[in-house]
Amino acid sequence: MGLSTKTGRCQALLGFDKIRVVPGTARRGIVIMMENAWLIPLFPLLSFLILLLFGKRLKEASAYVGILFTLASLVYSILVLFERFSEPTYGTNFEWLTIGDIHLTAGFEVNQLNALMLVIVSLVSFLVHTYSKGYMNGDERFPVFYAYLGLFTFAMLGLVISPNLLQTYIFWELVGVGSFLLIGFYFYKEEAKAAAKKAFIMTRIGDVGLFIGMILLFWQTKSFEYSEIFKAVDAGAVSGTMITLTAILIFIGAVGKSGQFPLHTWLPDAMEGPTPVSALIHAATMVAAGVYLVAALFPLFQASKTALLTIAVIGAFTAIFAASIGLVQTDIKRVLAYSTVSQLGYMMLALGSAGYVAGVFHLMTHAFFKALLFLAAGSVIHAVHTQNIEEMGGLWKKLKFTGPLFLIGTLSISGVPLFSGFFSKDEILAAAWEGGHPILFFLALIAAFMTAFYMFRLFFMVFTGKPRTEMKNVHESPANMTYPMMLLGVLAIVAGYVNTPWFGSFLGDWLVDGNPRLGHAHVEGPIWIMIAATVVSLLGIFMAYLMYYKRSLARNWLSGTGDTLHTILTNKYYVDEFYQLTVIAFTKGLSYFLRFIDVFLVEGLVKGVVGIVQGLGRTGSRMQSGQVQTYGAVAFIGLALLAVIYALTGGYLR
Amino acid sequence: MNLHWILSILVFSPLLGIVVLALLPKTQEKVIKAVGLLATVPALLLALAAYLHFQWGKDLADFAVSVPWIQFRGMGTQEPVFSVYYELGMSGFQMLLVVLTAVVATLSAIAAAKFVKKEWKGYFMLFLLLETGMLGVFTAENLILFFIFFEITLIPTFFLIGKWGYFEREKAAYSFLIYNGLGSAVLLIVIMILFGKTGTTNIDLLTQMMADPNVPLSSDLKLGLLIALLIAFGVKLPIFPLHSWMLKVHVQAPPSVVMIHSGILLKIGAYGLIRFGMGIFPEQFKTLATLIAVLGVINLLYGAFLAFIQTDFKMVLAYSSISHMGIVLIGLAAMNEAGVQGAIFQVVSHGLISALLFFLVGVLYERTDTSLIENLGGMAKGMPIAAGFLLAGALASLGLPGMSGFVSEFMAFLGLFKELPWVAAVGTIGIIMTAAYLLRAVLGMTYGKAHREFTGVLDLKGVEFVPVVVLMLLIVLIGVYPSVLSAPLQTTLETIMLGIGG
Repeated sequence: MGLSTKTGRCQALLGFDKIRVVPGTARRGIVIMMENAWLIPLFPLLSFLILLLFGKRLKEASAYVGILFTLASLVYSILVLFERFSEPTYGTNFEWLTIGDIHLTAGFEVNQLNALMLVIVSLVSFLVHTYSKGYMNGDERFPVFYAYLGLFTFAMLGLVISPNLLQTYIFWELVGVGSFLLIGFYFYKEEAKAAAKKAFIMTRIGDVGLFIGMILLFWQTKSFEYSEIFKAVDAGAVSGTMITLTAILIFIGAVGKSGQFPLHTWLPDAMEGPTPVSALIHAATMVAAGVYLVAALFPLFQASKTALLTIAVIGAFTAIFAASIGLVQTDIKRVLAYSTVSQLGYMMLALGSAGYVAGVFHLMTHAFFKALLFLAAGSVIHAVHTQNIEEMGGLWKKLKFTGPLFLIGTLSISGVPLFSGFFSKDEILAAAWEGGHPILFFLALIAAFMTAFYMFRLFFMVFTGKPRTEMKNVHESPANMTYPMMLLGVLAIVAGYVNTPWFGSFLGDWLVDGNPRLGHAHVEGPIWIMIAATVVSLLGIFMAYLMYYKRSLARNWLSGTGDTLHTILTNKYYVDEFYQLTVIAFTKGLSYFLRFIDVFLVEGLVKGVVGIVQGLGRTGSRMQSGQVQTYGAVAFIGLALLAVIYALTGGYLR
Repeated sequence: MNLHWILSILVFSPLLGIVVLALLPKTQEKVIKAVGLLATVPALLLALAAYLHFQWGKDLADFAVSVPWIQFRGMGTQEPVFSVYYELGMSGFQMLLVVLTAVVATLSAIAAAKFVKKEWKGYFMLFLLLETGMLGVFTAENLILFFIFFEITLIPTFFLIGKWGYFEREKAAYSFLIYNGLGSAVLLIVIMILFGKTGTTNIDLLTQMMADPNVPLSSDLKLGLLIALLIAFGVKLPIFPLHSWMLKVHVQAPPSVVMIHSGILLKIGAYGLIRFGMGIFPEQFKTLATLIAVLGVINLLYGAFLAFIQTDFKMVLAYSSISHMGIVLIGLAAMNEAGVQGAIFQVVSHGLISALLFFLVGVLYERTDTSLIENLGGMAKGMPIAAGFLLAGALASLGLPGMSGFVSEFMAFLGLFKELPWVAAVGTIGIIMTAAYLLRAVLGMTYGKAHREFTGVLDLKGVEFVPVVVLMLLIVLIGVYPSVLSAPLQTTLETIMLGIGG
């Protein structure tokens, strides 16, 4: 009792006095954790503010501030998740902005998806905070780094508990800024500057899609609230064309954020940021926000076949497109970046094939194994001070922890049975097949082969064979870097078992519980799909083994006769160059054309105006000649003019 | 308590500073600066008091004052034929602009104390006169009084640019005077026609009369008057192609004057369009709505594309102002609550953001003698705090949520998407371009390798933090809790919507 009055007062203080429980979810029991879930994003915000103001004085101690506050978020998120297992969705709103009779609200909601995301985000963020203490050690802007991490974590956690589209958009943009700041963390490097700018502008192109979609949807449904939007869609209050249009526009936002084709090029460049950032933002959390958005708005997308098909096609194409680029990259982080793009494509394919559970499931497992891979890659870079895999080799013996952990991540992403990636990927393939997209299914299967191949190519080149360049002082990373990796390693193995065809689909059952619009908890695909997935994965590993470990196959075996294919792939299909020649050139051209107008036409107008004024002035002064005749003539003409006007208008302007 | 004289004190309090300054010798630099700064404080305190007065649930009409002032009597008649009252008043909208003016004026005085290097006495006297003019413009309740205050703002600005500006200051000052003079002339004609036709210049009375179908003005004449107003205030805002004078002013005027100019003076154009254009001629405004929307989109895109290729950061900001004023037009053209509220938000928001950015330009120029993007490259290394605020200001300007720019942009587009979705869709290109040109400019200055070592370059220090921090806090406050602006605006909006009949 004491506690609840305290919270009550607290809420009144914060303006939560107009509390309204989300309709249709009657409160049962005490939901003290969920009631205060809004605290979760505030911890990292506090960390951001403290470090911004006092970071300089705290110096290395900044890390502890960041770590403690994200730990608080993590603990709270886990408590909320457990409470959500037994209690229904909780949500509350208060008025944020009044526009005439439109009342826009802000608030939060803890449904299954949000509760799960809270844990994923705060967990990865906490681990990255811990890891960075070792990785960023000695950087002169250490406190700034932690401040930015706090800002990003705040925005990301805020994003995943937003109950309405507008609030989602607000945090959506804020995570973009967090990402932008962290990509450009090494601001004195030209590459980092270019990459940060590119990331911001390219994702903003997508954001405008989301912006328009959100506003159009508002005028259709008169609300930004997810629940109201779904209600209007269910009731048929929105025309089919409008649903398709808004759904695709919103999806464009997801395309930008999740690095889907054709807005993918910023994501590999974003690797200019420090490696822990790549793990947190550009692998596990922010880039998955696009997938989250589609999942959160799933009932809207489900109302339009065209929209779903668009998502599936873009997803499948991105999956194979990025995987093929990943085959030839030589920068360890870029290989992982392209694999991220490709895996996000998988998730989109799942959602587009109505596999809600499959998409969210893969989002979760991917967050763990990809964060692991990036942190392990960071550990490698930390040890050898290069990112070029051609210069590495034979690190297995030297990096006693990193090596096996990297292998776990690699096995998992390759879809080797019993690892988490295997189960979630299988779920996606089944969804694509059952969703009636055989072509997309085969694309995804080929992409799975490529994934296994390029990931093991990476593994063999880095960890096996002999060092290809002289490397001194190679040493394993400190404990604060290896422990987070170990935890992720465990998760990369076991996370899959929450949703398997063998032991039951707990995750799926729970995710769709009470929400039939989200589809089935588990898609039962034919058994050969699982076998095929295993075969292609092992085949990919075997080929990588032959080419990069045994070296019994020449490395140019694949490209064969000509180098054309290889050149195209290393140049990433020339997408950047294409944009350079079209969009950027056009923008510049238009700008210069407008400058031409500004200089000649508008300035010409100015000269005209000045000329007229000066001319009038000169004529006027010439009139002041002292000649009475002129004065008389002017007076007479003026009078005559007045008389004419009077005669024509009757003396009044009407 | 009788509050009728509060507004008069508020408006004319800076004049007291002029009197004191007049008595001081020219050489007393410190005293002059202190007096110049202190003279802006009473208006600031009274403006804030008015805001609190409203927040405590009291009526802003308490402040209204109306006394007979000028009367023309016909021969042999006792009743005045034409009478002009001295009328000041405050609606929620006006109160916000008065607070904005008072805040920016005080901060600009701080900037002037830092950056103006000569003849402080003359500078501050003109500056205080300018402040009185601005405060008067936003509180005048009749057109004649409005016009007088409007003219009072022109003359000090002309001298402030012409005397304390950069190399081509005189050219800029003349350009300013000619354009604004022409705008004033057009405005004066409109006022005189209205006065002659209706016998009053009281704005509220005129608004009521125009709604009456028996008023002796044909709808053609009303449309003509509105177009004239559009030109008169279009010069001020500015609307393409009437903008070139303001580019020169932005580049040539001293930073403390540009803070005022870009922050407040341009807003008189928006204020005039809303209060007189939309307020007095709502019907005609409706017929022009599409045109205004298109003009808004042109402003938005034209400014953005040109800002994209500028080499001088001041020019980037100048074109950016044109672009951002396009949002005001977009919001107004929507003619619904969301759009109009967005336009008003944009007026306040841009006032704060451009004041912040131009203050930082002043800081940079003082240390480096340049505002060329190329020359400043990599300055985040030497002055990280200034660079951080510059980046934050740019993010605010490009409409980052959590800051004021987003709320206004969002509402303006929300409004226009309801009425003219296609025009609005074209306008959203501006959202992308804004990000592109601002990041290009700001990252060009702060990120990358330092091209040039600036000797003795120092980061923000001491009193320079005051304007930067105050403006930033206000920008974030509006972004996070927009009700601070929207609550006072509701009555104004209702009145406008009533006029439109929507």
